[in-house]
Amino acid sequence: MSAGTSLAGGGSAGSRVRGGFPVASSVGLAVLLFLIAPFAALAFATGWRQFHFISGDFAAVFVSVFYSLVALPIIALFGTPLAWWLARGTLRWKWLIEAAVLLPLLTPPLALGILLASLYGPYGPVGVPLEKVGLLLTNTAPAFVLAQIYGAMPYYVITARAAFESVPRELEDIGLTLGKERWQVFLAVSLPMARLGVAAGLALAWVRALGEFGIVLIIAYFPHGIPVKLWVNLEDSGLSTVYPLLWLFFLVALPLPLWLGIASRRRGIF
Amino acid sequence: MEIDYRLEWPLRIEARLTVAGFTVLAGASGEGKTSLLKAIAGLLPAEGEPWGGLPPQRRPVGYLPQGFGLFPHLRAWENVAFALPERGRRRESALALMARLGIAGLAERFPAALSGGQQQRVALARALGRAPELLLLDEPTSALDPATRDVVFGELVEEIRRIGLPTLAVTHDVHLAGMADRMALMAGRQIVQEGTPREVFAAPVDGRAARLLGYRNLLNGVIETIVGGCATVAIEGVRLRASAPAWGRKGQRVGIAIRSEDVALGSSDAEPEGCNALVLRLVEVREEGLSLRVAAHGSIALDILLPRSSPTDGVAAGMPATALLRPEHVHLFRVAE
Repeated sequence: MSAGTSLAGGGSAGSRVRGGFPVASSVGLAVLLFLIAPFAALAFATGWRQFHFISGDFAAVFVSVFYSLVALPIIALFGTPLAWWLARGTLRWKWLIEAAVLLPLLTPPLALGILLASLYGPYGPVGVPLEKVGLLLTNTAPAFVLAQIYGAMPYYVITARAAFESVPRELEDIGLTLGKERWQVFLAVSLPMARLGVAAGLALAWVRALGEFGIVLIIAYFPHGIPVKLWVNLEDSGLSTVYPLLWLFFLVALPLPLWLGIASRRRGIF
Repeated sequence: MEIDYRLEWPLRIEARLTVAGFTVLAGASGEGKTSLLKAIAGLLPAEGEPWGGLPPQRRPVGYLPQGFGLFPHLRAWENVAFALPERGRRRESALALMARLGIAGLAERFPAALSGGQQQRVALARALGRAPELLLLDEPTSALDPATRDVVFGELVEEIRRIGLPTLAVTHDVHLAGMADRMALMAGRQIVQEGTPREVFAAPVDGRAARLLGYRNLLNGVIETIVGGCATVAIEGVRLRASAPAWGRKGQRVGIAIRSEDVALGSSDAEPEGCNALVLRLVEVREEGLSLRVAAHGSIALDILLPRSSPTDGVAAGMPATALLRPEHVHLFRVAE
């Protein structure tokens, strides 16, 4: 019975057809080469004999990694309910909310930085009262995290929303009929079933937060994160000081998304 | 248990029926049977009793959707443990439930590695963990392998009977009702008939019910005489004898329903006592599995299904034949006057 065998074998990768897509695979390979070509160039361009870091490089790595680790949980904590709401809410003006989420992505980062400066800056309508309670959102750690959140959160929300939408509503309904409250169903059914997409969203948010330059440049030039420090190195010390820091950047940025990808696939049942 | 539900959305449905033992609600596709089950489970807005107004998580209902709705990311025992209290020996309790249904050996498997019948049992075990007062099954045979469907489903029904849980199964396959303790028919988005399968199959209340129950010959006529328990009905110049219904009276317009398999072919001299005999011409004869499906025309047209045990000599298109029909197989039902 073919339905029976496909049911039984559907979970294992071994049952899938390998190869057999000559056009797709050759185009795919070409695109892959195109995408990694700049990084191959990096290997050649790096002056391996004079490979060295300059003052402030390691501090920049710490700033980038530490504040991204602060920003990421905030993005997940507040972005997840929004993503869920967009996926499941029955709202008349949903398209407007979707547009609002896209707006920070659409805006050129530099312009968004300027907008943030005029809102949270020393003369901004939010900046002034916050400064009175001691929270300064220009060239401070909180400003850095704020810039990262604006730069990365929309990516997380959009990806997680698609992941939540792909969870069959019926399974969530079943969870309810089995006596669980909505939040319990979310934790036990929706989130685990959407975990591939949610993990991809987190990975995307992480690399966006680490790589954020335009917004940070305006409202959090200090403390220097890696992207700004790359700029500063280029301006002050020349190209040879850019490449070592860039290697370091890849070294610290890549493990988390790789781990998220592997961990979310560990139970290979889909 | 009395079920009385009214839905406005997504379909306007009114359903009042009694669930006793294993009850099957049969109706054509699009009648809103799934919507009715969802409403009873609290998943669609509706008014009704029991549990009207309660959210789904407060209703003591076990709901098995089409395809059974197992959580694909959880092992079989984790699925079964889903409704069990967070504290305590969840795994032991889940395994005990599974053992009760004879599926303890499947505990570690993921749903994708289970057959349809096994998934159904896991879903039943999971629903039992909720300690429901009513079990709702949506098209319970649709995801089963056709070859073993009747056996697998028959065993499930026996299991449910043993547990003693009132169950409402909805299906478009009226054949399933044969296994039920009680059945109801849905047409025009309401319940048109209910009773034991024997009562319902024998006496459809109207043409829609008769069609749902598999009656292919639906005719209109007038009761001419009622003598004793026997009514004579005139249909386009032909007279048929039928068992007289209690409501029947002389001169009344009635609907007539005849099952294809209740018509035999024979010669009129061999006609049994009291049997209706109609001289017809066979228009079309074709094989249907091991049976023969025959279309016969004359003063009335009849669809006839001859089992392989019946003689088939001379059964061919264009041949004349006598259709024999016992009066108790001619079912009368009321029509609008």
